[in-house]
Amino acid sequence: MNSSMLAIMRKDLRGVTVNRRLFSSLWILPVIFTVFLPSVFNFIFYVSPEDSDFTKMIDLLPASMQTGDLTQIMADLALNNIMPVFLLIIPVMTSSIMAASSFVGEKEKHTLETLLYSPLSLKQIFQAKVLASFSLSMLVTFVSCILLFVVFGIENYILSGWIPMPSLTWLVLLFLLSPSISLIAVTLIVRGSAKAQSVEESQQSASYLVIPVVLLIVGQVSGILLINAGILFLLSILSAVIAWFLMQKSMKNWNYEKLLR
Amino acid sequence: MNTIILEHLSKTYPGGKKAVNQIDLSLDAGEVFGFLGPNGAGKTTTVKLLNGILAPTEGSCQICGLDPNVYPQKTHALSGVVTEHAQMYDHLSGVDNLLFYGQVFGLSSRDCRARAEELLTKLGLLAAKDQKLSTYSTGMRQRLSLARALIHRPRVLFLDEPTSGLDPESARNVNSLIQNLAQEEEITVFLCTHQLRYAQEICTRYGLLEEGNLLAFGTLEQLQEQIAGGITLTIQGAHIPSHLVFSQRGEGIYEKNLSSREEIPQLIRQLAMEGADLYQVQAHTPSLEDIYFTLTSKRKETVS
Repeated sequence: MNSSMLAIMRKDLRGVTVNRRLFSSLWILPVIFTVFLPSVFNFIFYVSPEDSDFTKMIDLLPASMQTGDLTQIMADLALNNIMPVFLLIIPVMTSSIMAASSFVGEKEKHTLETLLYSPLSLKQIFQAKVLASFSLSMLVTFVSCILLFVVFGIENYILSGWIPMPSLTWLVLLFLLSPSISLIAVTLIVRGSAKAQSVEESQQSASYLVIPVVLLIVGQVSGILLINAGILFLLSILSAVIAWFLMQKSMKNWNYEKLLR
Repeated sequence: MNTIILEHLSKTYPGGKKAVNQIDLSLDAGEVFGFLGPNGAGKTTTVKLLNGILAPTEGSCQICGLDPNVYPQKTHALSGVVTEHAQMYDHLSGVDNLLFYGQVFGLSSRDCRARAEELLTKLGLLAAKDQKLSTYSTGMRQRLSLARALIHRPRVLFLDEPTSGLDPESARNVNSLIQNLAQEEEITVFLCTHQLRYAQEICTRYGLLEEGNLLAFGTLEQLQEQIAGGITLTIQGAHIPSHLVFSQRGEGIYEKNLSSREEIPQLIRQLAMEGADLYQVQAHTPSLEDIYFTLTSKRKETVS
């Protein structure tokens, strides 16, 4: 990483922050997942009767997860088992907003050619753009996570006088899995952006990357999977290896001519 | 030392279009070279080849001893490029655009700011430096592009129609800046334009291009010598001796084609000695436009 690459990163990040429409769309999904969704969960748990289907569901859980009253168990389950997979959508979606326009946006505005006349290699320009989107994606993910803990904690304290604590799963998710997944998504989207002919085309391709995460959510919510810190750790390692491989190989066969075509 | 060298440089696009065909030329430091031809002649393709943005299909080129196809990044560090398709960021101000490109070229923030202020002053953009680029007029954008291309003090400057969209005063300032850069800082200027009269005002050597072929290369005098009947002498007078083979163009107006300026004094002396009455004598050397059209029509005749 050199100062020229840092300049490109700063410029790309500034491009998002000065664009109100883009900047607000960046925060819509995180706010839904960190404020609206947990509030709905908390409300349902609070108003549900003692002999509801939730009680039957709790009976199916491992004994270690059945401590406390119904509301506490359900809140703990939502915070540490349901919300983590929802939160995984945030780095992927955030990446897609900025990364999708990284190359093709410059092509549309006729600024790509100017950038290509710089003394940076294509790989350096690519990495600078990937790192800019990645930094923003991670910033939004971390802020969302803090917001979620605060909202969830305050609501539970008000409703039941108790604050649910985040488990080890969150540590793995925040510091290992979401950076790796974000890096995979950003790398693929930026590469797609280099190939695309319009920002819309690039965004459309980027939206497919959410599918694996959605499948993970379906698995977790339906009970087919029960994701714990161990599984997330293994997923993180696998994702990190894929991310590294993609970062190294993505621009291997690219040249100026192909990029400007 | 030659700053720019092109040897049999050719480029054929994947569709089969031959944009540049076997161009040979070399330029020295401090030259303002006019690369002239109509739209689609291959000027922009040549600039892209000289910057490693396109790979040649045949031949090679060098910028300050470096092959841009092998060392594109090193070549970019030595050159500045202004083309229609090399724009800047609308959401940044004029000065912020320059600071960004300066940093991309590895300048420190301090150097960058000083250089940006210097260029903005020279190009008459200091008052508008904090305005967003989106508010700039076409002429202002063009001048800022020139400042951007000069921010890292390049050795070679590629300019594609640098004065298009400029008002006469701004165009004069830009021309004077280009000439100063060449004379004082020994920057080689590779200027692409289809405006032949404009090129004649500013360039020291010329390359005339048509459909990717270099028709002629040299100084204006060298190009004038290349076309037959380089100088036309027009006289207004009476009693012109017929054996001097003047062709009559009107009442008392005669014309004769000469191959060099040196023939003029001898001819005037002879006319005076043989009793001709001379009221006006005018030597007309062909302009770049005349040369270009003569060469293109000659080529068409050869091809057909």
